[in-house]
Amino acid sequence: MPTIELKNLTKTYGKNAAPAVNNINITIADGEFMCLLGPSGCGKTTILRMIAGIEHASSGEIVLGGSVVDSVNKSHFTPPEQRQIGLVFQNYALWPHMTVERNVDFGLRIQKLPAEERRARCQDVMEKLRIAEYANRYPSQLSGGQQQRVALARMLAVNPGILLLDEPLSNLDATLRLEMRAELRRIHETFGTTIVFVSHDQWEAMTLANTIAVMDKGTLQQIGTPDEIYATPQNRFVAEFIGNPKINMIELSKATDSLDKVADHILARLPECAHADTCCIRPEEIVLSDRPHSHTIPMTIENIMPTGGSWVIELSYGSSRLFHSTQQRPSWRVQEQVNAFLPAQALHFFAQNHRRLTIDTLQDEPLKRLNRSNQLKSKRTFEPHHPLNQPVNHRV
Amino acid sequence: MPLPVETHHHLKPDWWLRVRHSIAVSRHEPANVIAFILTACFAYLILAPVISILLDAIFVHTGDAGRTHQDEGAFTLYYLTRAFMSRMSEIILWTPLYNTLTIALGTVACSLALGVTLAWLINRTNMAGRRWFASALIVPFMLPSWTFAMAWTTIFKNRTIGGQPGWLEALGFHTPNWLAYGFFPIVVILILHYTPLVILIVGNALTRLDVQMEDCARILGAPRRTIAFSIILPLVRPALMSAGLLIFADCIGEFAVPYILGLPVHYDTLSTGLYRSLDSRQNGVAAVLAAVIMIIGVITLLIDMRMMREARRFVTVGGKGNMDRQISLGKLRVIAASIPMAFMLIGMVIPLVTLFLSTIMTLPGRFTLSNFTFDFWIGHNLTTVALRNGILFTPEFWQATWNTIFIVGIASLCSGILGLLVGYAVTRCSFRGVSGFLRHITFMPYLVPGIAFAAAFLSLFAVARGPIPALYGTPILLIIALIAEKMPFASRSGIAAMTQLGKEPEEAARIAGASWFTRMRKIIVPIQAGPLATGILLPFISGIKGVSLFIILAVPSTDVLTTYSLRLLDYNYDQAANAVVFMIALIAWFGTLLIQRISGTHLAQGLES
Repeated sequence: MPTIELKNLTKTYGKNAAPAVNNINITIADGEFMCLLGPSGCGKTTILRMIAGIEHASSGEIVLGGSVVDSVNKSHFTPPEQRQIGLVFQNYALWPHMTVERNVDFGLRIQKLPAEERRARCQDVMEKLRIAEYANRYPSQLSGGQQQRVALARMLAVNPGILLLDEPLSNLDATLRLEMRAELRRIHETFGTTIVFVSHDQWEAMTLANTIAVMDKGTLQQIGTPDEIYATPQNRFVAEFIGNPKINMIELSKATDSLDKVADHILARLPECAHADTCCIRPEEIVLSDRPHSHTIPMTIENIMPTGGSWVIELSYGSSRLFHSTQQRPSWRVQEQVNAFLPAQALHFFAQNHRRLTIDTLQDEPLKRLNRSNQLKSKRTFEPHHPLNQPVNHRV
Repeated sequence: MPLPVETHHHLKPDWWLRVRHSIAVSRHEPANVIAFILTACFAYLILAPVISILLDAIFVHTGDAGRTHQDEGAFTLYYLTRAFMSRMSEIILWTPLYNTLTIALGTVACSLALGVTLAWLINRTNMAGRRWFASALIVPFMLPSWTFAMAWTTIFKNRTIGGQPGWLEALGFHTPNWLAYGFFPIVVILILHYTPLVILIVGNALTRLDVQMEDCARILGAPRRTIAFSIILPLVRPALMSAGLLIFADCIGEFAVPYILGLPVHYDTLSTGLYRSLDSRQNGVAAVLAAVIMIIGVITLLIDMRMMREARRFVTVGGKGNMDRQISLGKLRVIAASIPMAFMLIGMVIPLVTLFLSTIMTLPGRFTLSNFTFDFWIGHNLTTVALRNGILFTPEFWQATWNTIFIVGIASLCSGILGLLVGYAVTRCSFRGVSGFLRHITFMPYLVPGIAFAAAFLSLFAVARGPIPALYGTPILLIIALIAEKMPFASRSGIAAMTQLGKEPEEAARIAGASWFTRMRKIIVPIQAGPLATGILLPFISGIKGVSLFIILAVPSTDVLTTYSLRLLDYNYDQAANAVVFMIALIAWFGTLLIQRISGTHLAQGLES
């Protein structure tokens, strides 16, 4: 199974427009399940289309399985029909004038395989994707989920080394999403295909991919495993983009105007982070308690929002707002006072250029002195040995 | 020490690498090659004639050297001055221009009013027989407009001009000139002809309106009249405007109807004036008139484009709630049906019956049994000077029928396919300039009056030029001219169909490894079969009933039904001429039924785009 190498890949539409894809360097290993994640318009679909060959690069190079398929410097371009890859379009692009079976069969016919083999492979892949019973229907007679499975089957029938998926779960309802998710993982395991998919949905990315490449405005922001991306966002964008509810962003540089009381508190408590521009903490990392402590912030509960099995609590302190999420039913009521503790190990700092800052010396006092009556029962209590709570010590 | 050759490579400028890479990419994109070939083709077939028309207006023609006091071929303002600022300009330009504009504006106003009423009745009320009317009311548009003109003269013709009298005259009623010829009959006939277009376009817009918008206004307490004028009317206004401008542009270039009803009494429009100038070898003045028609067309088109841009603000039109809600007319539902019924009677039944009756009557307007005869259809050894057999036994008639079907058939087949290819090239070509040029150039013939276009074709292709031999007198000239003339419709529907299809079905086939021919054969053409069939049949119908191209380009060996009937008319074989016209109408009608059979909706879309 081939690897995909993108070297200095850039795509510009029009002469003076900002590049849709800007100098991307990614190597996708053989058999990897990779997600290109980013908000809409970040260039992720363009990358997918360039790998497929439907778009061509404005500069840079694409290498599939060791052979150059698109290179500006070498003036080379291999058209999509010769790349032997699979691409499932976001809205499937099934051929409306062909039955399901003919749709699936099309690629095999192109390869001029003998009829029996074609029939066998069609049958096999349609059964695997549970669409065999619709073989003689037309795409317009199928539901969205069925259509998507046909689109997948159409590509899998020719057994491509690389499978590209454009927003594979976005058009499906919640139940089908779960089903397709399992389906895609199964396909990845049984076919051993290198899969690259595009998504704007972090849930989709986190649950499916082995590797996630986060993109914004055409540039690569961070690449890593889902855990790495979540635990150590390398810049402000990644920190804000990943996580639901959104990460709490505390502007430290504005603290001098004493606009943000939480920022004031952090700067007073951790003077070594004074050069940082912003500070973040994930909602589930905030620890709430009844009793105050020198390191806690007195906050008012503004709102308690149940989200089905977990709760999101909005806290305020002057003009500051923080969101806390917990899987423990909160014992407080709205407008009650609580004390919020922001563990230093859970804090992420970013410099003015939005890059991650590493502050080695950050370490809180032992937690014993805190009243943790409420938090200990919670699954997301602060555990010093939890990997997420290890001192932040990554390269920038 | 020599420099290493390698460094040269690095010195190559960035743009050069990009160009080379673009070429490498384009090599695998046949749409680019197709776009370039089509552009070259149409530059020769459309742009060259148009330019030659325009140049004709400012260069001295053969034989005009004496009049202009300039050498042949020299630059001159003589024709422009003569048309615009001489003693003659009143006759040459201003009166025909006034006539043309009043005809066009009168037609637009009346057919919009009538068409909107009928569209509303059909689409929004429970009028009796609305479904039947929805398809039946389109028929008058598919019949040649000059069928009506012939029927009109059959009934109303008076003694002002010679030949057989009209029915009313024969029955002893004197028909005044204003009723028999000129402005009034022309406008009435054009209204009958174009109202179905309004019904189609506005009806489409009405059915596409989201019913929720109306509901919303009703919930807020708006009375029905307010809803009609402040919600529905503004939302269908783009469609109304578009229909109006389409009709306006068509009326400006309309030739056959004023030719039959205006020319005998010297009621000139721009296009008949153009024809007369060509006929009297005043090509320079003709070119000026052609340019005036083109300029009016361009202005109309610019307004239309502006309107369409405005219309895009209404993208919300076309929500999921289709407006299939009907207003109950109560007891009026049968009475209301009399309006479309009257329209059908006046616009279709009476003209066709009149035409048919006129072909089986020896003397016009005498309704006695002995006067009826089928001689003009199937007679033998008649006592006439020429045409001694009924037309069904006249070889010329069958020759003309065959010529019509052959010439128009091949031309519409070609233009349908070319239209789809233009659509393909325009939507796929990687050079935006080329695709924009192609789109505009294929639309150009729409703005050029058919007569002028035919004249330009004649002067360009009558003699051998370069690799192309002299084509005058061959069917090829007619076919090429027809293709060029039908390209606006064909390319518009091709572009619309390809835009609607999008690129993805083809991209999916590319990914599956299909070559270009396979993609065309297995994906594009099968999916676009419906629009393609419409794109062939529509030009076929409008080609069969077309007059202006044939009247200039056809010679006896390439006689088609229209020129054959006009020639019969010239020799006063009125019955035979009407019989031929009746046959043309029948062919057009059956073609329409065929299209509706293939796809009811495509027809409406094809006409609208």
